[in-house]
Amino acid sequence: MDENKFNHDQTDYERPNFPFRCGRAALWQTPCHKGPNLDGTCGGTQECDPFLKNDRWECRRENRFGGPCAEGPGPRGECSIQRPPCAPRKALRVIRGRLALLAIGCVLALVGFSLGLNPNAASFASLLDPGPLSKSHKKFTEKEGCSACHAAYGKGPVGWIKAVFTKTDISDRCLNCHMFGGPGSKAHNNNLHTDREIQNTECIMCHREHSGQSMLTRVLTSQQCNYCHKEKFESFSKGHPEFSEKYPSFSRNTIKFDHSSHLNKHFDNPKFSEKAPQSCINCHIVTLADREVRPGTFEAICADCHDSQINKKELVLLRLPEFSQNLIDPSSLARACNFPEKGQSDEEEGQSDEEEFQSVSTDQAALVSAFLLNVPENDPEAYNQPLQNLILSMAKEGTTPLARLIDGHTPKPIAKKLLAGLNPEVLKQAACSWGLNLEYEPPTAEKYGGWYADMLEVRYKPSGHRDLVAKSWVEYALAVSTAQDDEEKFARAIAMRDQLLSAKEGIGGCIKCHAVTAVRSSKGNHPLQVEWGYGKVSNRPYVHYSHSIHIEILGRKSSCPNCHVLDSQADYMSSFKTFDSSKWVSNFESIKRQMCGQCHAEKEINQDCQLCHVYHFKPSFKKEMVFVKNPIYKIPQ
Amino acid sequence: MTKAWGYIITAFIFFLLIWIWTLQINNVLGYSAFISGGALLVTIAFLSLFNVRKRLSFLLSAPVHQWFLLHAVGGFLALFLFWLHTGVFWPQGLYTQILAVLFYGATLSGILGLIMEKIYPNFLTRIGLECIYERIPQEIADLRNKAECLILECTKETDSDTLAQHYLETLRWFFQRPRFFINHIFGGQNAQHWVRQQCYISERFLNEKERGYLDQLFILADTKRKIDCHYFVQTLLKGWLLVHVPLAVAVLAMVFWHLIVIQVFFL
Repeated sequence: MDENKFNHDQTDYERPNFPFRCGRAALWQTPCHKGPNLDGTCGGTQECDPFLKNDRWECRRENRFGGPCAEGPGPRGECSIQRPPCAPRKALRVIRGRLALLAIGCVLALVGFSLGLNPNAASFASLLDPGPLSKSHKKFTEKEGCSACHAAYGKGPVGWIKAVFTKTDISDRCLNCHMFGGPGSKAHNNNLHTDREIQNTECIMCHREHSGQSMLTRVLTSQQCNYCHKEKFESFSKGHPEFSEKYPSFSRNTIKFDHSSHLNKHFDNPKFSEKAPQSCINCHIVTLADREVRPGTFEAICADCHDSQINKKELVLLRLPEFSQNLIDPSSLARACNFPEKGQSDEEEGQSDEEEFQSVSTDQAALVSAFLLNVPENDPEAYNQPLQNLILSMAKEGTTPLARLIDGHTPKPIAKKLLAGLNPEVLKQAACSWGLNLEYEPPTAEKYGGWYADMLEVRYKPSGHRDLVAKSWVEYALAVSTAQDDEEKFARAIAMRDQLLSAKEGIGGCIKCHAVTAVRSSKGNHPLQVEWGYGKVSNRPYVHYSHSIHIEILGRKSSCPNCHVLDSQADYMSSFKTFDSSKWVSNFESIKRQMCGQCHAEKEINQDCQLCHVYHFKPSFKKEMVFVKNPIYKIPQ
Repeated sequence: MTKAWGYIITAFIFFLLIWIWTLQINNVLGYSAFISGGALLVTIAFLSLFNVRKRLSFLLSAPVHQWFLLHAVGGFLALFLFWLHTGVFWPQGLYTQILAVLFYGATLSGILGLIMEKIYPNFLTRIGLECIYERIPQEIADLRNKAECLILECTKETDSDTLAQHYLETLRWFFQRPRFFINHIFGGQNAQHWVRQQCYISERFLNEKERGYLDQLFILADTKRKIDCHYFVQTLLKGWLLVHVPLAVAVLAMVFWHLIVIQVFFL
């Protein structure tokens, strides 16, 4: 092989950037020295390009190809050495360029094709879809489609251009369905620090969609929490603030259950020991217990010992007190009670106006009636007239005068609930007897509980736990005790309330177990409220704790005392002497951080912030999301 | 080599900085994808400069081997930035999957090209012959003409057509065009063996004079074998760009679409 044959004077200068190459060379024949033209036609059909000089055509074949040929150019200037044309081929560079253009074309075609498709019918082929939605969001957006979250979707090119220059906040759209206990765009959905400016948050900071079946939520690390929180620390074991002194018992229980006295006193008592639970889980329901381990129902865990005590504590609604004089008009009473007229039966009655009046009762008036009539319960001179008027009107109308009196003290009528089950005829009969200054003798002795009149009193005997009349009377007593302007009336309301709330004498003994709490109202006063149910822990909404998991790990029977240590010295019951639920003493010692740290430590159990803390405040859904708009089955009216 | 390590370390530091930056953005609950995506976009733009460097020679005057080195290091950097950006190996959703397919395709073809660029030039040097790719057809045609002239001369000088018959039956096929493509690109010696075998077969049927011609024919065939090797290897060295460049262009087109989608629907 001649190494010098590519010298500049012996060969053509190869131009690889030319778009075509010789067709003869492509067939592995000797390529012509002229090569193809730029337009892709063969440039080698003639050996040279003759030149017109002094009216003569001259051959211009280069010396390296043999110099001017013997024949020379023809009369019209055509080369005498003609060759058939070849079919030049595209150079690699051109093919590469064409393929690149084809690639762009394919992408544009794909985009155009996907934009032209109906997005609902062929969403799988959409080049706008960055991935499948999570199960929950997929269901809720199947009608609206992408525009449920993306405002620009389906708005056309103009909408797209607008969207480029407009800030899009997808989080706003999240709040179309989701709601929280506070503002959605604030950290922890709450105005936690009004003293300093805190960056607004967006849902998409943590929640990412289009990642498949399950929603992708960013796991908050300690560093991320530290970015906003003033108290910065590395992990639970390294720098986490100590638990507060009262942790985890910040507010008073709604049920007065003295663990100390029950565990140390009553359950050891041979009288009750058979009924006593063997361990904590006999009373507390640990299955699926989350932050709190709710106790069982009254019937399940308390009734064995306490049920019989409820119906022993009765309410005295009315008592015939000692009257200093009889002010009841006999004829009116006789008409009301269908007695014979006075003139006809004077002798039979054996009484005359002249005789000195001797009251059949020597008792005081009942506190309830004293409050209702606003009279002192122990001053006959003061209550003579109003009480006897009440008796006369009861003899005439039964329960109506009483109901009128009760409703007169509350903004809304409540007597129907309070006097539920009170037989007007019984009340009328009792009033008639008392009008005649006689004891009322019921036809039969009380057997079944409820309202009854006996001798000098109208009483109510609760039927058992959750007695609605008893509950209503307790609530009534609390309501009227905080709503009186008159000092005397207020004192009487308090006296009545104290009697009804008394653990020993109060109706049903409700307040022996149920706490009474002063709640804050928007009006600025502190109305009292009975905690009828077991109170769900509503404070510390950002703390999460799963009792059930811990109990399963530590053992069902003996795990509770590991953390909950009974404080025998604590004066638990004194906490319930006031109505302030914040001031109280727990039955148990507070839990220290170190206790949790025994397991949640470095290289042991997970100690991420989100293990115990939740980010959102009262997350929920808007009504539209919860209610079925077009139910398949309608309940017949 | 020192320069290559310099580029690799620079790319590594760049990636490390971006990674730390994204971690910091993550810590403040920001959108770290904007950082990694921005870095990826810049890297891809830099990679695409490799193709236009000739048109912008007044700006980008570095030698091509440096450009190639930067392109290769930048390609690997882009791959790691891509993973940092997506957070997964395989994204979900049709358009992101198409983008991923194209990106992985461009990256893999690039890696394949890089491997070839590292292996084949040394291989070609070892052949002991240099040949310009565009002139290979002419070289083959020249060799064929020489071989045929040699055979004609041999027939004329020796009054024997044994060598000519043998040429027509065997070596003519070899001289027509480049042969043994697969074997050549894997560095095999099948072509060499084949040529030798054809010469050995005929040698014992030739007289002394003819053997002289056969030796000359063998030299021509051996040169042709080397040129074939050049042709196939250089075709491969140029041909892989037919895959890499269109894929890279498609990636750029999809990146542009991705930016539009993000601008319209997310920002």
